[in-house]
Amino acid sequence: MAKVFIYPATSLILSDLVSRYGHTPLSSAVAVRERIQTAGLESPPLQITPEEPKKGLRWAAVEVPAGVRGRMALYGPQIEAAEAAIIINDADLSFGCMGCARTNELVKYLLRQKDIPKLDLYYPKSEEEGVRFVAAIKRFLDGLGGKQ
Amino acid sequence: MTQPVRIAQLSCGAEYSGIQHEIDTAAAEVGGEIFFPDIALKDIRRDFDLFGLDVRSPDLKLNIARAKALVEGRVEADAVFIATCFRCAEAAIVRNELRRYITENSRLPVVSYSFTERTTAGTLLTRMEALTTIARRRALLAREVQQGITLGVDSGSATTKAIVMKDNKIIGTGWQPTTEVLKSANEVIARALAEAGLTRDDIQAVGTTGYGRFLVGKEIRADLIQEELTVNSKGAVYLADRQHGPATVIDIGGMDNKAISVMDGIPGTFTMGGICAGASGRFLDMTSKRLGVDITELGPLAMKGMGANVPMNSYCIVFGTQSLVNALAAGSRPEDVAAAACHSVAEQVFEQQLQEVDIKEPVIMVGGTSLIEGLVYAMGQLLHVNVVVPPHSQYIGAVGSALLASGFIQER
Amino acid sequence: MTDYTPVHAGTVTKYVVVESFDITPADLGIRAYEISKDTMVKETCFGLVINGKEEEVNRVVAELRKIDPDHIFVKDRGFPPGDPRRCRANIGGARPGYHGMENEMTVIPYVSHGLEALKTRDIASVPPPENPLDHRELGIARLKKLIEAQES
Repeated sequence: MAKVFIYPATSLILSDLVSRYGHTPLSSAVAVRERIQTAGLESPPLQITPEEPKKGLRWAAVEVPAGVRGRMALYGPQIEAAEAAIIINDADLSFGCMGCARTNELVKYLLRQKDIPKLDLYYPKSEEEGVRFVAAIKRFLDGLGGKQ
Repeated sequence: MTQPVRIAQLSCGAEYSGIQHEIDTAAAEVGGEIFFPDIALKDIRRDFDLFGLDVRSPDLKLNIARAKALVEGRVEADAVFIATCFRCAEAAIVRNELRRYITENSRLPVVSYSFTERTTAGTLLTRMEALTTIARRRALLAREVQQGITLGVDSGSATTKAIVMKDNKIIGTGWQPTTEVLKSANEVIARALAEAGLTRDDIQAVGTTGYGRFLVGKEIRADLIQEELTVNSKGAVYLADRQHGPATVIDIGGMDNKAISVMDGIPGTFTMGGICAGASGRFLDMTSKRLGVDITELGPLAMKGMGANVPMNSYCIVFGTQSLVNALAAGSRPEDVAAAACHSVAEQVFEQQLQEVDIKEPVIMVGGTSLIEGLVYAMGQLLHVNVVVPPHSQYIGAVGSALLASGFIQER
Repeated sequence: MTDYTPVHAGTVTKYVVVESFDITPADLGIRAYEISKDTMVKETCFGLVINGKEEEVNRVVAELRKIDPDHIFVKDRGFPPGDPRRCRANIGGARPGYHGMENEMTVIPYVSHGLEALKTRDIASVPPPENPLDHRELGIARLKKLIEAQES
């Protein structure tokens, strides 16, 4: 069972397929859950406190906007833990946790720098593309081994 | 309980900077309620394309579509708060264009702000208060004539001012540097009353503004306690006799600066702040002390000098002072140094704040610093306009308070 | 700042989304109520939100998937069902993530088709999809293909 970073990290489709084929998706929801289930200082809605952008300094310099660093505090540790990644390259309408293009560029770059298996895709736009999309993901995930 | 003022938030990054709670808190404190305009994905696709600003960040696309929904009346709001991350160029472009788009196409008051993780509810409070005031008190702000006998007090960070008005005329003034907030207020009130030949009992209504407005307002039982953005706008167009049509009000204060784009005396968009005291009246105060002249002499001195002869950047008050010392040590003439200091402050306000409001003539400068003619001249040069400085401009907040307070006379 | 005490600590929440002509979120809901023991189930326009201990949620989700495996999709959610911090009623509009899901819902029928088709097609023989990294420049072969596609 491999930890697979999904991009967009909010993707229902990738989250589903990764767990359907026996692996663990690393997603925004998991990072947010960690925060809202941890006691600390109140900072609704996401329980991201002003401390998180400071933690984000590990991945982005101080002159990088706070929103980028705050998001990197969510994704940075997941990217470090990732054993594989699936990246959809035309995810232009993913909002909220994936709402900042600068963060998204950095996330993709850090994934590309990492020596792990990666699968780059576009969203399918026809039924035949749908078949190829699912097949490619299944082959990729099966190749990671350790399937339950 | 009155209905809360519904403030539509258009933002990118606030939740991830950990400051959404600060925004909510600031709004709630002044009777506002933050909400996010509800639209569908098809609206986002269509309106983003129609707007034509081809940005990459999905949340900025979302905000563009939300702004269109507000302007077209598909979502109702009383005011708009636009906020994006400080230092994000993409977001700054969107923030400015949305601010302009909403102001030009609707009557919604707008505040735009760029935040860091250090932004607190306290920083946002005055801006939110101005937003809710404009939304809630349009009738009060429509007042153009002062009636009866009223007192206005402006408890500022550097100076405290009081004005007594009677039948649309200023009949008493008081001014002094702020030390203890209440003591300073009481003294300037006594002075203004003495000049007017009146006693406290003659006063029919009282208004306060400035940093100390709550403390002073409570002490002297003010009828109106109001932030300085709306009060100064009213005061400026009243004193400059430009109550109708557009105007731009610039107030370079002791602690922060305000730039307000006004329509018919009511603020449309405004900015407040300044990165450092180097861009405030304080720097000019320090300059005059270093030059060994009274602050009142700094302006005339600057008018005789050539600022270009002295390299100076008061981006930071410490480095600004260093430039000042260096220039004098290198033999620069005091008048050139004075002119350079004025230019430096004007330039920073121009670069950091005036970019966020639309400059429309007349440009009215108010506050104590508007009496420094070298500063007014430098601002006029940068903006390519003739800057208007109305009479009593240093009393702007007190005049605005006295004017607006007369709306409470009948209520008594 | 005030202290924050989490509720539902140690639980997980999952969306179960249904995109099907045959099954409605209500059908899914009924089944979920039948089989779940200690989970909280909430119906939404997309399907269900289920909260509880991880093993129990996983068990319910696995059972639900069986109803229509190619048309039921599951993902994690950070917040428990009906959390006021994310609720549309409290924040005025949909949380931003909702629009992202709306976007993926337009793609999901193709994914469902893919899942169905792979039951009968040999996965090894399915050609790979277009690789975004391969097409930084338009190759001659692909240009020729595009021209032919236009002409036919």
